[in-house]
Amino acid sequence: MQQKTLTPKQLFIGFSKIGMSGFGGVLPWARRTLVEREKILTSEEFSAILGICQIVPGPNVVNLAVCVGSRFGGARGAVAAVLGLTLGPIAIVMLLATLYEHYSHLDTVQGILRGISAVGVGLIASTGFKMLRDEFQYPAMLLVVLITILAATYFHLGLGWVVLTASPLAIFLARKKALRI
Amino acid sequence: MSMLLSLFLKLSVFSMIAFGGVNALLPELLNLAVNQEQWIDLQTFSDYFAIAQAAPGPNFMTVTLLGWHIYGIIGALVATFAIVWPSSVLIFFLQRFILGIKDPVKKKSIQYAAAALAIGLVLSSAWEIALQINHGVAAYLLTITTIGLTLFTRWHPLYLIAMGGVLGVLGFI
Repeated sequence: MQQKTLTPKQLFIGFSKIGMSGFGGVLPWARRTLVEREKILTSEEFSAILGICQIVPGPNVVNLAVCVGSRFGGARGAVAAVLGLTLGPIAIVMLLATLYEHYSHLDTVQGILRGISAVGVGLIASTGFKMLRDEFQYPAMLLVVLITILAATYFHLGLGWVVLTASPLAIFLARKKALRI
Repeated sequence: MSMLLSLFLKLSVFSMIAFGGVNALLPELLNLAVNQEQWIDLQTFSDYFAIAQAAPGPNFMTVTLLGWHIYGIIGALVATFAIVWPSSVLIFFLQRFILGIKDPVKKKSIQYAAAALAIGLVLSSAWEIALQINHGVAAYLLTITTIGLTLFTRWHPLYLIAMGGVLGVLGFI
């Protein structure tokens, strides 16, 4: 059904725009560009692909670029999309790092950065809380969240061990939840 | 050079287990870079975290900046590549498989399990990072305010980041 193809160049340019406009999170921009503006994916297709990208570990937005890029342009398309998404922001962030080296001793700069990091932590936490809302449909799943949090923050297990510890119960409960809803 | 290789290998492994994205592995990254390998001090790590939040683009830029700190432009590119390639290769091959699963129960189970893990990891990460980089009551208040505003209003994150910057300049944080 979906026969459209895009050249690597088109994918590179499209994802460059997404990367460069993604202040405070790229995903909303990805949706706006791919679904609303360029219309290369329907809303349902976007959600389905995004669902997969969030299952797999690693940077979610990069995963999205790989999925969309490979769907429309094969392996070369995937590489083009990832490069487009990342190169511009990397250049900007290195520019900022250079400025930082010169001006980090200033009180003003230190103040700005302290304020921004406090907000940044809050933004990460809110992502978690937003996702947590959905879990109340099937409260047993909150147990998995709790175990993960305890393993990471109280027992200070490494990330790999946390995932291994919580996975069996996560898979067991997820299956029950899927059968119920 | 061995530092670069070590960075590459460790980040590559992180990429394979970072459920919930790079935000979920920030505490692990901090522990590795600040405490174990001592590539960078805590203050610089926090500052890089702030710069990454303020800059456009994907949220793994703290990793890019860490690479930059260790080995300049090459370090930045190596670190970014390391965090990106394993999960990209994985999803390249997995997406067709997962999209092809016909059994809706199986498909949903995978999704629900991964979501629960991701939520736990992201929340733990926020908690641990807050303990490391927030100094003083004002910083925690700002973090909590941010959470409240994000959950109960539709403010764009950029405004919140700007608000943080302004409060910081004024010396509140």
